Amino acid sequence: MLKVSGVDVYRGETQILWDIALEVSAGERVAILGSNGAGKSSLMAAITGVLPLRNGDIRFQGQSLAGLKPYQVTQLGIALVPEGRRVYKDMTVRENLEMGAFPKRGRPMLKGSMARVFELFPKLRERMHQRGGTLSGGEQQMLAIGRALMSLPELLLVDELSLGLAPRVTKEIYAALEGLGKETTVLMVEQNVELALKHSRRAYIVESGRVTRMGMSADLMDDTDIRRAYLGM
Amino acid sequence: MLALSITNGLVIGIIYALTALGVSLVVGIMNVINFAHGEFYILAGYFSYLFAHTMGLDPVVAMVLSIAAVFLIGIVVEYTLIRPTYGDDLYSLILTFILSIVMQSTFLLVFGPFPNKPPNWVKGATNVFGLFLYGNQRLAALIAGAAVIALFFAMLKLTWFGRMIRATSQDREMAELNGINTRRLNMLSFGMGCALAAAAGVILSPVFPVTPSAGVPVALTAFVCVVLGGMGSMWGCVAGGLVLGLVENLGAAFVSTGYKHVFMYLILILVLLIRPSGLFGRSET
Ligand SMILES: Nc1ncnc2c1ncn2[C@@H]1O[C@H](COP(=O)(O)OP(=O)(O)OP(=O)(O)O)[C@@H](O)[C@H]1O
Ligand SMILES: [Mg+2]
Repeated sequence: MLKVSGVDVYRGETQILWDIALEVSAGERVAILGSNGAGKSSLMAAITGVLPLRNGDIRFQGQSLAGLKPYQVTQLGIALVPEGRRVYKDMTVRENLEMGAFPKRGRPMLKGSMARVFELFPKLRERMHQRGGTLSGGEQQMLAIGRALMSLPELLLVDELSLGLAPRVTKEIYAALEGLGKETTVLMVEQNVELALKHSRRAYIVESGRVTRMGMSADLMDDTDIRRAYLGM
Repeated sequence: MLALSITNGLVIGIIYALTALGVSLVVGIMNVINFAHGEFYILAGYFSYLFAHTMGLDPVVAMVLSIAAVFLIGIVVEYTLIRPTYGDDLYSLILTFILSIVMQSTFLLVFGPFPNKPPNWVKGATNVFGLFLYGNQRLAALIAGAAVIALFFAMLKLTWFGRMIRATSQDREMAELNGINTRRLNMLSFGMGCALAAAAGVILSPVFPVTPSAGVPVALTAFVCVVLGGMGSMWGCVAGGLVLGLVENLGAAFVSTGYKHVFMYLILILVLLIRPSGLFGRSET
């Protein structure tokens, strides 16, 4: 479904990603792990068209994303839950969700998708008329996920879901993601390695802008190097 | 005397608010300060003079046509002058400054230095609450200005275009990720900002005729409104406009006409001292 090959990405004159290759098949849950500044968010930015590719290609369902603008990538069925949630603070919960359905693929289905999001996160229904900025961190994360789902994406990108959230809230949100089913493929960036490996089938490890390891999440979980480096055991 | 000054203040205040909304829209979406904003106001006044006076169209039709024409010109200006400057705000500042001078000189060449006045929409005067006699044209201007502002806010709140504008001014990159073609939105917003100036221009020009350089104080006041109301707040623009209109007229009536602009800056400094983010601005989060 998604195939990243030989991708180099720069921010200004500084190279951030080197020769990245990864693949996600339809229905899969894949995690990207790596320490701060490794380039995980930059990879998300490259996939969504926020950062241009210097070399290499990204294909989504066979179509190249190179040179497309973010608004065009969204149109194809890729939605991002960005690092730091980035909900529209001055817009209500409802309006935030409506913005998610802005792409043509989502708009005709707006009512039904919103009902589905409220089913997934009942708290959002209670807060429907509240401004996004007044929500708690966990609720904002739910809103950011809900907003992304409103465009009926086939591929959902999630960046640092658990950042700054209480473990209980994180668990609740991961459970909701599990409930999405096979029709939504998920590629997630997660700093909490244990969580990431638990909720994914496969994982890639990114260090200093390069993919250094990949494998089945269950195997990585048992790997002594990984346990030592990321789990502190 | 007091009631009359307040009414005068409201008329002018609504016009300031309308002009400031255009500035605020363009700043919010594009981070561009359009120095020629006042000249678009004047241009609309001249258009409405041309359409209604010279060509003999109905004044209301002439107004609508003038606003539409200025909207289109705004779009062309964005496409040709502003678009190449994205990423460097200083360039757009300089370019729109030059544009304002070019427009003023063109007005002078075409229309001469004398005031031009589109015809009134209504005649006569009304006795307002039995307090004073007030020109119907001014009352009509007040109502029309308030109506355009109400329409603009309804558009922001109720339409997809309004949501696009609010989302983009809050988080441009996120809005783009939500499927908004922000480049195209820039163009439309710039046109719309000019159209708001134009609306103010056609509404007020029957009361205060236009001259080639009359846009300068209008734009200046609009910039002050935006800062006074709080950068990025549309309600702030309206509040700022009304405050400035009232202060200016009350000051002129009870102190002296000569200090009009002094009052404006005094209020600005006072408000910024007490609330650095303006009347409705959010303090840094
Ligand atoms: N806006 C920016 N401008 C310049 N450099 C940036 C910018 N954002 C990130 N970088 C740099 O790019 C590199 C990769 O950053 P990125 O945000 O992709 O890492 P990350 O893996 O997502 O880290 P984190 O876990 O902190 O979110 C870092 O060295 C960072 O300093
Ligand atoms: Mg990151």
